[in-house]
Amino acid sequence: MPPVSDASVDHVGVGWRHAHYAELLERSPPLDFLEVHSENFFAEGGAALAVLDRGRAQYPISLHGVGLSLGSAAGLDDWHLDQLARLVRRVDPVRVSDHASFARGRFRGSTVHAADLLPIPFGTESLDVLCANVSRVQDRLQRVFMVENLSAYLRWNATGDERVWVETEFLATLARRTGCQLLVDVNNIYVNALNAQLREGVTLVPVQSCRDWIDAIPADVVGEIHLAGHCLVSDAQGAIVIDDHGSRVGDAVWDLYRHAIARFGSVPTLIEWDTDVPALDVLLDEAKRTRTHCAEVLRVPVLSTGTGVAP
Amino acid sequence: MSTLARQQQILLDALLSWPAENAMKNIAACAIDTGSRGIKAYQTNGHMLAQRALEAAYPVVAQMVGDESFADLARALWHAQPPLRGDVACWGEGLAVFMQSSAQLQEEPYLGDVARAEWALHQCASAADRVADLPSLALLTTHDPEHLRLLLAPGCAVVRSAWPVASILTAHLEGSPSFDEVGTQLRAARAQDALVWRAGLRPRVRLVVDGETDVLLPLLRGESLAQALDAAPALDFGQWLPMAVQSGLVLSVSAMEETP
Repeated sequence: MPPVSDASVDHVGVGWRHAHYAELLERSPPLDFLEVHSENFFAEGGAALAVLDRGRAQYPISLHGVGLSLGSAAGLDDWHLDQLARLVRRVDPVRVSDHASFARGRFRGSTVHAADLLPIPFGTESLDVLCANVSRVQDRLQRVFMVENLSAYLRWNATGDERVWVETEFLATLARRTGCQLLVDVNNIYVNALNAQLREGVTLVPVQSCRDWIDAIPADVVGEIHLAGHCLVSDAQGAIVIDDHGSRVGDAVWDLYRHAIARFGSVPTLIEWDTDVPALDVLLDEAKRTRTHCAEVLRVPVLSTGTGVAP
Repeated sequence: MSTLARQQQILLDALLSWPAENAMKNIAACAIDTGSRGIKAYQTNGHMLAQRALEAAYPVVAQMVGDESFADLARALWHAQPPLRGDVACWGEGLAVFMQSSAQLQEEPYLGDVARAEWALHQCASAADRVADLPSLALLTTHDPEHLRLLLAPGCAVVRSAWPVASILTAHLEGSPSFDEVGTQLRAARAQDALVWRAGLRPRVRLVVDGETDVLLPLLRGESLAQALDAAPALDFGQWLPMAVQSGLVLSVSAMEETP
């Protein structure tokens, strides 16, 4: 049996993006939390923060960052950490997270930020840097942070004699060393597996490799799950699967979600949709499907604490 | 430099250099991707993000130069001046100077000033909130202006230009004046100062009234009301103040502490 601690499925949220700011506040649909991108609310004041305050009055908020650059050898940007700390104080979120990636580094004599989620090598130096940066964030925020696995479009070669870790072992060690939690993005696992298949040939079975990935992660460190859509891009430069968050969750990803829930239990789950954002009802339908899958796997009632109950 | 720092620098070189042939060779030597398709995906993502971020900050410049030219402009700025912060809304301040130095945009010399005014609007939208205190206006009847300061709206700024920058912005954003009128003003090279401020949560822009720039610049520097009025003999303060309060430009009056 999965490690179920709750008697109902009441942990489903959606990404709250600009297109739905007003409609969601007006309709107050039954959702258990809203996720927003932290950087979109780094302003000192103005309309965006005012909207977030209204959302916070109705729902718990999960702050998900895309710019901390936790894996950067150049370290964290003090300014970025200051903004995040201020936002955390203001919002008192249920969870705060970012990615196992880097974006900051040296370019033409300056420290720049590439504004992307760039992959880090799974080596010992990289792990040490990631652990140090995550610990610094947790010390500053005085709370447990969550780190998300990445969809990566390149893999680093091994350098010298350095040990190369399997990604799951790398992440589990990060969690064990720092006390952080892991945010498991099931779609990212699948996208990586599909791209590995494109790269290495048809002998690889993506779904099985994803199940193995999920099985290798300790259940007790998983704090949130993300679900999203992806797309295959094929052009003159080749084929690649892109984690574009621009469509409904695919069937294979739902199957993997069921496997993940069976292993991790009733973990808070987010529907992400960032490209070609559809009608709010489409997101709500995806949230409903999430509850149904979760309830079927865990054999518990589908409930939602929903609106007006922000703690 | 550590191995990790070198790896990360090589990938940043591949993504931010333009053209990137040499940088691509370097990254190919230390990473595997899907037939170079991975690097291309990251480059494309960067270019699309650059365009979206710049359009959000500069909607009028984007309309004036057209989609294709604006995409080229965003891409060129992305490589020439990559972001320094992890909040992409902070990126793009350099567009005005970048355009002014562009040989292709020399025939539209006013675009740089339009960009400066749009950046002021962009900054204004996220400036720290300030609360209006209208009863404090009573201090104007009890204190000497030498000992008073006016608190202005969040993001308040005056953008001075040798071009009709205020008309260009309001024509695009609010539909007035007409584009014919803006064309006439452009041909006459009419100089304008654009006033940017936030009324509540809404960023606003308009042409300054007579003497308004002269009174606002000292106030923005934190000088006293008396100093501001001395600098603005053309301003009819009695007419201006009610309009400025009503439009949310002036939020309150405070008494300055006297130095012993």
